[in-house]
Amino acid sequence: MKRLLTFVAAIAATQLASAETLKINGSTTVNLPVAEAAEELRAQKKLDIQVDTQGGSSGGISGVGDGLVQLGMSSKSISDADRAKYPKVNFNPIHIGEDAVAMIVSRDVWEGGVKSLTQQQLRDIYEGRITDWKDVGGKPQRIAFFNKEPGRGTWEVFAHWLYGDAKKAPQVSFPEVGGNEETRNKVSSTRGAMSQLSASWTDNQKVFALGIKADAGEVVQPTPENIVSRRYGMSRPLFLLTNGEPQGDARTFVDFMLGSRGQELVKKHGYLSIAELKQR
Amino acid sequence: MMTNEDLVRDLRLSDGAARRPYLAGISCTRLASFAFTALALGTVGALTLIFILQSLPVWQDEGIGYLTGGKWFYRVQTFGALPMIYGTLTVALIALLLAAPIGIGAAIFTSEFLPARVRLAVKITIELLAGVPSVVYGLIGILLLRDWIYELFARFDLLSGDTLLTAGVLLGVMILPTVMTLADDALRSVPAEQRRAARGLGLTATETVLAVTIPQAGRGLIAALLLGLGRALGETIAVFLVVGRQDNNLPANIFSPRAWLESGQTLSSKLGGSETNIAYGDPLHWAAMVGLALILMTMVLAATIGGAWQRKTKYAPSI
Repeated sequence: MKRLLTFVAAIAATQLASAETLKINGSTTVNLPVAEAAEELRAQKKLDIQVDTQGGSSGGISGVGDGLVQLGMSSKSISDADRAKYPKVNFNPIHIGEDAVAMIVSRDVWEGGVKSLTQQQLRDIYEGRITDWKDVGGKPQRIAFFNKEPGRGTWEVFAHWLYGDAKKAPQVSFPEVGGNEETRNKVSSTRGAMSQLSASWTDNQKVFALGIKADAGEVVQPTPENIVSRRYGMSRPLFLLTNGEPQGDARTFVDFMLGSRGQELVKKHGYLSIAELKQR
Repeated sequence: MMTNEDLVRDLRLSDGAARRPYLAGISCTRLASFAFTALALGTVGALTLIFILQSLPVWQDEGIGYLTGGKWFYRVQTFGALPMIYGTLTVALIALLLAAPIGIGAAIFTSEFLPARVRLAVKITIELLAGVPSVVYGLIGILLLRDWIYELFARFDLLSGDTLLTAGVLLGVMILPTVMTLADDALRSVPAEQRRAARGLGLTATETVLAVTIPQAGRGLIAALLLGLGRALGETIAVFLVVGRQDNNLPANIFSPRAWLESGQTLSSKLGGSETNIAYGDPLHWAAMVGLALILMTMVLAATIGGAWQRKTKYAPSI
């Protein structure tokens, strides 16, 4: 009997401890600096932090909406639909940096001579009117387009930029990819492959970021300068998301991300810090 | 602490039927086991009921078109599950085509030709395959199988290595232990006398297997395949990683193996994907996702019940 009581007490104790775990979930893009920040906070302040990337930005938003996590990570803004879905939740997006979305291609496409595309060419590829790289200045090879799965911030930014509004994007069915790592691997291991990817994940060794050609023929690369000046249009804010004002450990975490070390981590992973964005 | 004396007293207490605990004349053991069985059955029943109730809106909205429709675009509220049903069945069929000859072949070898000790060692080794987490299979699929299929069938101009075939081959490996070990059990359950009688009549070892053991274990072998099929239908994460997750890719001819080299979507890969998160909160979309679960559960149940039934009704052949 005593043993049983000890056992019950032990279970109760772990339950109490886990109640204090700071749970974070959402976008793999935001995850990069956040996971590193979590590691530093665990070591420095002995915080119990659990970071996950289930379901991308949508997973982060619904996690906060359902109260499953204290902090969401999102690489897209909260839409009216999200707010309507969770009327009781007071979504509070905290801007921690900015990232661009690049159109990436595999090595054979890049070396075959396709270094940039116009918006119209991208629309033609997305809607299936162009299916071969030879039609956009490359070598003959079928275009293997990997589309970011629904709910990914990357896709929303791409669709918003290409069609003015993600809701206006045509209904298409391509093979889908999820996180950034999967996207990069699949594109680099497939001939004639193309996908959307967070610009900070492009390495120009395995996958190559295309420039965007304006109608006048000028090519804009997804560089930090071009993103700050908004000449490169396919960019997006990165958010930590809370329900109302962050409290307790969540507050500590948000302050850390906005502080000098957190912003250093944001820059380290190829994103633009808040300070850089203020130069706009 | 339980002392030795306590232990002895306990043993004495449990000794003899008269001292077993009874509640209002019914054995407690019996009562408890009944309760657990009812709980297990009730869970399945409740789950099915919830799935049916929650998927009602999509049946009302799409009607039978939900099963026969070839287009799934959740953003414009169009839900047709046929391409996913096709994907699920195709992938499971490929898995069975691979696992059936290898699994049953291996079972014949272990049960009929190996000495008992070695047989157990081989069987345990193959059963170890069943203990590998499916995400590990998925990663192996990504690392090796995708590229292998991609290069092997390069002349068919594959768009990528993520194909129904890749998923099917991976699943074939995953269900191999199930098929093999159940087939081995089925073969072993054929009485030794039958084999001896056959050998006594002058049949060779091979003839005995072909003419006596396999026909008598027939139902058990079919059961092994059906239970393997049940596992293949429901498997999610490994398939998710290599099937390509392309919606609405229904081929012009669904019997054409050429279409196996295309990306596709299965019921389980759809359910394992990001749409489940998005659907929550939109009644129709959610109903459509739950409906997929209902279809999948029906398919798995059918295969499993079929398998269990085949296994149970053994018969002595009338010679």
